[in-house]
Amino acid sequence: MSMQVLYSAIALFLLLTLIAGLWRVLSGPTPADRMLAAQLFGTTAVASLLLLAQAFGRPHLRDVALVFALLSAVTAVAFVRRTWTAWKDDDAAD
Amino acid sequence: MPLTELLTLFLLLAGAGFFLAGTVGLLRFPDVYTRLHALTKADNVGLGLVVAGLVLQAESWAAMGKLLLIWLLVLLASASVAHLVARTALRKGIRPWKR
Amino acid sequence: MGPGRFCFRTVLFALLWWILTEGAMTSWLIGVPVVVFAVLASGVLLPGTSWSLPGILRFVPFFLWHSLRGGVDVAGRALHPRLPISPGLLKHRWRLPTGLPRVFMANTVSLLPGTLSAELSEEFLHVHVLDQSGAFESELTLIETRVARMFGLKLAADGVSE
Repeated sequence: MSMQVLYSAIALFLLLTLIAGLWRVLSGPTPADRMLAAQLFGTTAVASLLLLAQAFGRPHLRDVALVFALLSAVTAVAFVRRTWTAWKDDDAAD
Repeated sequence: MPLTELLTLFLLLAGAGFFLAGTVGLLRFPDVYTRLHALTKADNVGLGLVVAGLVLQAESWAAMGKLLLIWLLVLLASASVAHLVARTALRKGIRPWKR
Repeated sequence: MGPGRFCFRTVLFALLWWILTEGAMTSWLIGVPVVVFAVLASGVLLPGTSWSLPGILRFVPFFLWHSLRGGVDVAGRALHPRLPISPGLLKHRWRLPTGLPRVFMANTVSLLPGTLSAELSEEFLHVHVLDQSGAFESELTLIETRVARMFGLKLAADGVSE
């Protein structure tokens, strides 16, 4: 088995776990739960991009991963500071 | 298969295992706090192992540094996010799930 | 900012730029002003923190080992058919001084699997744990000692967690 196949296979596997994680985005129940799933997608995407960068010899994909890492942090902080603290009524579910 | 490739294979498979466990935890754990545990674990250990596996195959020192830098950034982000979400949830009065 | 600290930060940011551009020589045209600006900005934002290099070097393997060990434990619980968790909140009385050391410890606690920093109050660090049966008090005390060493601090011996 060549290493390229290994990298691609693991990247594909990570994408499959990501699809499973979509269930949490759909079911919630609090906005934070949905956000957490989105956060996990960010990390999974970073790992997949790094694997693909290695598999296909495209080092620039690492820069995409870097931007992904930065963006997912900003997204989550913005969510907590702006959105979630502003909603008063929808967290009684938990 | 050379030793470094074998080691990479092992680290990547272990990393993928932690990502799987992180997703399973996110789906199975009962409340937002426990799900946060699943999330930060996948970030920290899963990505750490994948990065460690790729570092062994990196083509230059700078590329190696960039991989580690990405891991550090994700760690910093996930620690801050986990804390912020947990604190906000507590302040909003969401009770931790008890067995 | 003293000359020693200035030099250290310049080297650090230059290294960061080198990593980001993967050693492209032409990029230093932009890189040099960026590094100078970053050093000055860091001087304003974070004027004085003392680090201990041996403390940092010893912290890295500690963090990696505890991450891995805790990660295996949490992954095992997540995948176990009966989901053997019993979460709870506990309080740890601070021995670290306020500021960066406490923030650093809170982040470390959040990243190590099985523990999660929920709230930082004046006296306590409130920690959510995934399984209460673990020996978290000694674990937290150990983390605190390691973090203190990184910052070159000595802790009072009477630190007792509740």
